[in-house]
This record gives sequence, structure tokens and C-alpha cells, in this order.
Amino acid sequence: MLPLTLLNTSQGHPMLVELKSGETLNGHLVNCDAWMNLTLKEVVQTNADGTRFFRLPECYVRGNNIKYLRVPDEVLDIAREKNQQQREEQRKSNQPQRGGYNRQYTSGGQRGGYNRNRGGGNVGRGGGHIQRGGRGGQY
Amino acid sequence: MENTDPALLPSIIFTTAAQLVDCVDKKLLVVLRDGRKLIGILRSFDQYANLVLQDTVERIIVQSMYSDIQRGVYIVRGENVVLVGEIEPEKEESIPLKEVSLDEIYAARQDEIDHRRQRELTKNSKLMDIGFSIDTQQDDMY
Repeated sequence: MLPLTLLNTSQGHPMLVELKSGETLNGHLVNCDAWMNLTLKEVVQTNADGTRFFRLPECYVRGNNIKYLRVPDEVLDIAREKNQQQREEQRKSNQPQRGGYNRQYTSGGQRGGYNRNRGGGNVGRGGGHIQRGGRGGQY
Repeated sequence: MENTDPALLPSIIFTTAAQLVDCVDKKLLVVLRDGRKLIGILRSFDQYANLVLQDTVERIIVQSMYSDIQRGVYIVRGENVVLVGEIEPEKEESIPLKEVSLDEIYAARQDEIDHRRQRELTKNSKLMDIGFSIDTQQDDMY
């Protein structure tokens, strides 16, 4: 299970964030995103020396400032259970499709999303050889 | 064009993140840019080398002494990692360092920092006397 996935499952749990500056923020994770940006609530901010403390009801951390995060041990166990549950559900929903092949791969072409709708213009229009994904299009 | 055919290129070239796969569920030493040493079991990683470590211990090492602090689960942001090394269980039994208490190690570390700062100051002033300009700044502590 990916590190950012673990971060997502720890929403609602308390955690410690150490920034590159050495400051630490102790609080509950409200939300996070793919860039590791975080919103925390009920935060205690400590300076790098450990000599000053601030209380912040809410705070936003831009992901690139983070050195590391420490989460409670239970969070890892909870995340694993969720992972297992998800896998079992996937297994169950995949079974009826086993007869027909590749039905789940039709959306694969859009995953990279290179030039899908960019540059409006001529992508995907006219010109017989340009596919809908328009991958060849706009480089 | 034949030598750029992906099927012919050795797969070593594409495996920066893939190599950590061999380290999963192993006890690792992770050195961070601020000089910290974390010892924990790698549970997962991603393409940025963000790491998830479990049962982690922060080991403070000063000269030939060390002290451990239990820390739990870490999510380490990849850009802060200097290196990662596998810890062999047999070698863990015969560490050539002496384990001391936390208070002792903090005192020793502070001593070391003070001495180092003093050395830097005298070195820099002597260099300036000779005509060097001191423009170095310690960026990373490892």
C-alpha cells in the first residue's frame, strides 16, 4: 500500500508532522492530497529548538515543506484491513467478467491523459488517422 | 534505431524505484538529510522514494556511543532521504558502539556540536587572514 494511501487512511487521526525547518506540528489530519499538502486541526506548533509552543485551531501545510510524518501504529493496521477488504470486493466484482475479456481495460487509453482535450483545435477532428485519444496530436 | 529498442535495453536503467522492492519488509537504516538515522522495517514506497517505516527507532550516534528512541510509524518524504541500507540481523548483535542513556548522548552531542562550531570559527578566521572568502554554508547535516 502506497505511502500516500496510508496518509489518506490516517485522516481523522492524530499525527506529528516535522517540517524541513525542524518545526513540528502535532494535530489531527483533516485532509491531504497527492502533493502531500495537509490540513490539520487542533494543532500544537513547536519551533525547531523545542522552546516555543503555539496553538492553532487549524493549519495548512504545503507538502514540499514536509520532512516526515509520524502516525499512530493503529493507523497502519487499519489501512491494511481496508486494503484487504477492498481487494476482496474487487475479486467479487471481477468474477462475473471473467468470461468476457478486457472489459476493464477500455478506460486505459485515457489514463495517461496526455493530449486528450488539450489545444482544442484539430485533435480528434477530421483527419482519418487521428484517434480519439489524440495522442499523436500536439507535441 | 536498434540500440534504443526498449526490449533490448537492460532493465537496470528503468529500476530506480523498483529496486526498493527488494527492501520491503526488511529492517533498514535510513539516513535523512538532517543527519538523523532511522532504523525501521520498510513497509512501502513510491516513485518519489517516499517511505513507510514501521517499528522505527531513531538512533543517535556520537563518536562511539549510541542511544535509541522508539518512534513507531514514519512516512518519510523521499527528497529528505540520503541513503537506505539493509541491516543484517547477525551484524546487529555485534555493534562496535556503546549504548548509553539518552541524557548522556544529548550531552555528548551538544559537546560535539560546540567543538565543531569552534573549529569552524578558528578555521574560517585563519582562512580569511590568508585572503580566502568564506562563502560555504552547510546545507545538509549528513
